[in-house]
Amino acid sequence: MTIVGKKSFIIMTILIPFLLILLLFVPILMKYINDKTDSSQIRIAVVDRSRNYGGAFKDNGRYRFELLQGDSMDKPFDTYKKASGRIDAIMVIPEDVLERQQVDLFSEKTLDESTMMYLNQCLTDTLSKAKIASFHDPDLSDKIAQSQVNATIKSKKWNENGEEQEQSATIASIIGLVLAFLTYTFVLSYGAMIMNSVVEEKTNRIVEVIVSSCKPMELMMGKIIGVGLVGLTQFAIWVVLMGIAMGVLGFMGIGGDVSSSPETMGMNMPEADSTVASMMSAFASINWLSLLGNFVLYFIGGYLLYSSLFAGFGSAVDQASDSSQFTMPIILIMMVALYAGIGCMSNPNGPMAVWCSIIPFTSPVVMMVRLPFDVPWWQLLLSIVLLFATALLCIWISARIYRTGILLYGKKRSFKEIVKWIK
Amino acid sequence: MNFIDVNGVVKQYDGHLALDHVDLHVPQGAIYGLLGPNGAGKTSLIRIINRITRADSGTVLLNGREMVQEDIANIGYLPEERGLYKKIKVADEIVYLARLKGMPKPLAVSEMEKWLERFDLTEWRNRKVEELSKGMQQKVQFITTVIHRPQLLIFDEPFSGFDPVNAEQLKREIIQLRDEGSTILFSTHNMASVEEICEQITLINHSRVVLEGKVADIKRQHKKNLFVVNVAGEEKVEPKNGLFEVVPNDDVNGTLIKLATGATLHDAIAHLNEHHTLTGITEKLPSMHEIFIETVQNNA
Repeated sequence: MTIVGKKSFIIMTILIPFLLILLLFVPILMKYINDKTDSSQIRIAVVDRSRNYGGAFKDNGRYRFELLQGDSMDKPFDTYKKASGRIDAIMVIPEDVLERQQVDLFSEKTLDESTMMYLNQCLTDTLSKAKIASFHDPDLSDKIAQSQVNATIKSKKWNENGEEQEQSATIASIIGLVLAFLTYTFVLSYGAMIMNSVVEEKTNRIVEVIVSSCKPMELMMGKIIGVGLVGLTQFAIWVVLMGIAMGVLGFMGIGGDVSSSPETMGMNMPEADSTVASMMSAFASINWLSLLGNFVLYFIGGYLLYSSLFAGFGSAVDQASDSSQFTMPIILIMMVALYAGIGCMSNPNGPMAVWCSIIPFTSPVVMMVRLPFDVPWWQLLLSIVLLFATALLCIWISARIYRTGILLYGKKRSFKEIVKWIK
Repeated sequence: MNFIDVNGVVKQYDGHLALDHVDLHVPQGAIYGLLGPNGAGKTSLIRIINRITRADSGTVLLNGREMVQEDIANIGYLPEERGLYKKIKVADEIVYLARLKGMPKPLAVSEMEKWLERFDLTEWRNRKVEELSKGMQQKVQFITTVIHRPQLLIFDEPFSGFDPVNAEQLKREIIQLRDEGSTILFSTHNMASVEEICEQITLINHSRVVLEGKVADIKRQHKKNLFVVNVAGEEKVEPKNGLFEVVPNDDVNGTLIKLATGATLHDAIAHLNEHHTLTGITEKLPSMHEIFIETVQNNA
């Protein structure tokens, strides 16, 4: 109740989808801004001792090359000094550049990565052309161009009717990872929220007033269910807002072709845009309904399991700062789950993935990674049953810890003492 | 008829016996004092009565029948360690806690207005609890305890944190609640308040009941045959062997005498009248404070 009322919470609920979208566009935007604003030209003086390849470097909007002549060729440093800021760097092309395949670049300031890449590109192109020319075979460059191969593997899967659908392991992995990460952050942050609320009620002593009005078990479950529903609502709002925002962006033509129907696109797209088309088609090949349904199911199971543990251990401490000894193990398990999930991406049907997606403590995260890759139904069922059974057990254990813990103040509790409370 | 009957309650924590066959009988409509030094087991007993914890054995009867979970809506509990949600508004806090006790919202709101008015807190209703002074927070806590008009009120150290003016108001409110039909169980160390408002008490020490009964009866049982004697003029009362001795005491207005064993008050007055101009003599009953200390020390 106190959580939802906070302004910051409401603001975050509404803002996060936009932040996520923003995050998606920030790299594009930044590149755009970078290209636009960084208009200062880089001037490079070229000392061409090979007397042949000085023209390898072409001027463009960003780079300007100046071929040095006469005396200045022998003492590049003096030339650089004399120019005092008029040139940014001096490049020396050695006589045997074709053999050494290397030039030297002198400058006071280190030049940025994109400049180095551009220079490298120019040099490589020119030198390889020169090498090809040295074979004196007029057709060679054509032959080489023709032998360039860019192989792709198009992965398709059959649905029940035998119709082909394009799928993409990359997209499936990314979706799985996003879901796994969502589960991880949701469960941890809401679990921590539960724990803080338990500790807060205990610290400001209102808990004694509350449990004189209702059973401790009711209080704990009320808290867990309440915050859980808040989480699901928040998630639903995000999904809707993201949908709307992506739709609007798509409509405006910024978000690309996200809004238009993937099927029609796959057919009408010219060959050049086939990557986008196959991405969309891969998106479409995923069974979103079952994916989201399972996500919600696992989220609820994982959330119940972990938040009840957080509540139980939260009740055993007097202040939030004392809670780390109990939260550390929980967070460690969650981190193991996350890393297992990331590890399973490369082999989502391997033994580690299968086991980790069945063990209840890791399954909510790991199964998310596997879900887009069509998990056998018996594994799914087993995993869900185990998860919910364990969640119920954890709630039962935590309720017993909670019942005792909330009314005990004073010394720090050890795990051993807490085990005693459970009995 | 007793409103609460606690019979032979035993509670054990981790090898420590918190309550050892404790009995407590609180009559309907009484203001009943539950006394005892720190750690005697008062809070443990209170928590069993309002069903926060369970007794290991023994029974708690409310109005003659075994208590059930629903009965707690009929109890108002002011714990010694006060606690409120600090970040929410006074009005919301009171209504929320009232509804937890099963009050319908409109009633909770109208009662809340009434009580805020009564404690001069109306202008604070939309402020957060943490912005209130400690005394005001105590008042809010008191309101949340009594707003649902419970039949049983349990106050654990109600006067701590109140200045004398507010303590006086609180005392009046408690007495009025009793007059309106509530039974009040009241745990405290503050013996002055016990003398002022409690009719009966139970004293717990080392997990056991060591003293119980009406305050007036207990005082009589513990009397030490002490009398305050006033004589005319500047005369000094001298002790008389076999009859009484003079007890040095600066607190009383007069001379404190203690009758010798076997001597009667009648003989003492005759003696005093003979040697002095006796203007007054009153019996000095021990205060609850003295009885408390004496009993606890004898039981140590």
